[in-house]
Amino acid sequence: MTLFWLSVGFGFVTASVLAIAAVGLSLQFGITNYINFAYGDFMALGAYFTYVFNAEFFHWNVWIATVCGSLLMGVLAVIINHLLFSRFARRFSKTFYVMIVTFGLSLIILNVVYSIWGPDVRAYAMPIERVVKIGPFLLTRDQLLVMAISVVVMVGVAVMLKTTRLGKSMRAMSDNTTLAMTSGIDTRRITTITWFLSGTLSGLAGAVLGISEGNITPAAGELFLFVIFAAVIVGGVGSIYGAMAGAVIIGMATEISAAFINPAYKLDVAFVILILTLLFRPNGLFSRPKG
Amino acid sequence: MSAFWYYVFTLVFFLFDYFILAMGLNIQYGETGILNFAYIGFVAIGAYVTGAASLPNSAGTGQQYIMGWGLPFPFNLLLGGLVASAVAVLVALIALRRLRTDYLAMVLVSLSLVLYDVINNYVPLFNGADGLYNVPQPMAGIFHLTTNSFIPFFAVVTGLVALLMWFIMSRIMNSPLGRTFRAIRDDDGVAGALGKNPFGYKLTSMIIGAFYAGVGGGLIIQFGGSFNPTAWLPGETFVVFAVIIVGGVGNNVGMLVGALLVETLLIHLPAFLPEIPGHPGLIEYIDTMVVGVLLMVMLWFRPQGVVPERVRKSAGMLADRARGRGRQLTTASEGQGKSGE
Repeated sequence: MTLFWLSVGFGFVTASVLAIAAVGLSLQFGITNYINFAYGDFMALGAYFTYVFNAEFFHWNVWIATVCGSLLMGVLAVIINHLLFSRFARRFSKTFYVMIVTFGLSLIILNVVYSIWGPDVRAYAMPIERVVKIGPFLLTRDQLLVMAISVVVMVGVAVMLKTTRLGKSMRAMSDNTTLAMTSGIDTRRITTITWFLSGTLSGLAGAVLGISEGNITPAAGELFLFVIFAAVIVGGVGSIYGAMAGAVIIGMATEISAAFINPAYKLDVAFVILILTLLFRPNGLFSRPKG
Repeated sequence: MSAFWYYVFTLVFFLFDYFILAMGLNIQYGETGILNFAYIGFVAIGAYVTGAASLPNSAGTGQQYIMGWGLPFPFNLLLGGLVASAVAVLVALIALRRLRTDYLAMVLVSLSLVLYDVINNYVPLFNGADGLYNVPQPMAGIFHLTTNSFIPFFAVVTGLVALLMWFIMSRIMNSPLGRTFRAIRDDDGVAGALGKNPFGYKLTSMIIGAFYAGVGGGLIIQFGGSFNPTAWLPGETFVVFAVIIVGGVGNNVGMLVGALLVETLLIHLPAFLPEIPGHPGLIEYIDTMVVGVLLMVMLWFRPQGVVPERVRKSAGMLADRARGRGRQLTTASEGQGKSGE
C-alpha cells in the first residue's frame, strides 16, 4: 500500500507538469487551429535556456532561472510565429501545410539543441533536498513547489480567460475567428499574445520537468509531447479545462500504473487510455459543441 | 572492389529503397490526403518481420525474437509487407474512421512513439534495444556472393523490386481506384456524395501504402543485415515526407527525384564526410537541419515540388473544351472514360 501512495504522490507531480504543458498547447491550438508538433522541442529549449541561466553561465537560483528561461521561450515563440507559422497559415488554407512546417521545425530545434548542448544528460545546479513526508506521500520540497506553481498557473489561466478582456477575446477567437474579427477584436494581437503565453508555458513545463525528473536531455520534450497529446485528446482538443482534467487523468494513470507493471511501459498506459477515449468518446471527455 | 564503388552502390540502394518508401507515403498522403505521421513505424514493422522471418530459430543465436523460420528471399519480404498492411488495418479501424485531420495526426505521432517504446523495451519480440543483427544475406548462397559482391548485387535487386512496385503503383494511380483516392483527397464530402465510401477507400490506401513501407523496411534490414531502434526514430517519418514534398506530391517520377535529392544527396552522402574534430555527430545534426529548412523553402516557393502532379483530364473534359464549353467537374466519376493522356 505504501508503494501505491508513493506513486499517487508522483502522479500529482507528473500531472502538475503535464497540466502546464497541456494548457499551453491547448491555448495555442484553440486560437490558431493547427497543432504545433514542435511543442516538445519548445519545452526542451525552455529547459536548456533555464540551464544556461542556472548552471552554465549565470549561476542564478534555479527558480529565477526558470522564470527567465520560460519568458525567453515565450519571446522566441512569438518570433517563430511571426517569421514562420503565421506566414504559412495565411498562405495555405489547408492546415496540414502548417503542421508539416511545425514538424520540420521540431526536427530543426532538436538538432540545434543537440549541436549546442550535445546528447549528454545535464542537471540543474540545485541543493539536494531532503524528502518531506506529508500524510502518506513522500516528496521533495522542489516537487511540492512544482505542484504549487502548476496550481497558480491553472488558476491564473482560468481567471484570465473568465474575467479579463484579453481572456474573453481569446475565447471569442477560439469559438469563431471571423466573427471575433468582425466584432472588432484585433485577432493578430491576440494571436501574438497567445503564442507568447503558449511559449512561456512550454518553457516553464520543460524546466519544471527537468527539475522534477532531476535531469534534462534534448529528446525529453519530444517523448513528453505524446503524453501531452494524450492529455489534450482525453480532455477534448481546444478545451482548456479539458486539458487540465486530461492532465490529471493521464498523469495519475501513468504513475500509478508504474507501481504495478514494468515502469518502462508507463507511457504506453497513456496511449491505451488515449485509444479507449477515441473508441468511446472520440471528441474527448470534456469537449464543447463546436458551433 | 574499391571503397568508392562500395559507397556508390550503397547510395544507389538507398535511392531505390526510398523511392519505394516515398511511393507508399505518396499514395497515403499525396493521393488520399491521410497525414500518416506514423509511417516510419510501418517501415520498422516490415524490417523486423522480414528480419525475424529470415533468421534461423532464435535458440543459440544470442538474440531473442519471434518466428525464426529461415524464410528465403522474396517470401520474407512479402511477409514483412503483409504484416505492415495488417497493422495498418488495425490502426485505420481505430483511428481513421471518425477522427478529424488534426486528431489523426496527433494519434499517429503518438502511435509511432509507442511502437518505438514497446519494441525497444519488450525484448522477446525483436531483441529490444539491441535490434536484430546477423540477418542472412538473401540469395548469397545461390549466386556464391561474397561480402563485397553482395552490395552491388542487392542494389540491383532493389532496383528491380522498385521497378516492379513502380509499375504496380502507376497502374493503381491511373485506375478508377486512384481517381477516387484523389477525389477523396480534394474533398471527401463530395466523394461521399457521389456514392464513394471515404473510409473504405482510405483504408485501402493505408493498406497499399503500408505494404510499400513494409517492403522498403524489409529491403533495408536485408541490405545491412541489422536493424535497431536508432534507425527509425519518429523524426525519420519527416525525411520521407521531405522526399515526397521536394519531389512533387502525387507524381511517381517526383518520388524518384525526391529520393535522389533528399535521401541520397542530403542524408546519405554527408554520412561519408569526415567528422569535424571535437564535435562528434555535428555533421549529422546540421544535415538534418538542412533537410528541415529545405522542406520549408520548398513548401514556400514551390509547394508542388520539383516534378509537379500532372493535371489529369478525362476524355469528356477534353471533348467539352474542344467544343468550347470549358472545364467541368469530372472528379471521382468512374464512368467518365479513360484518362485522356
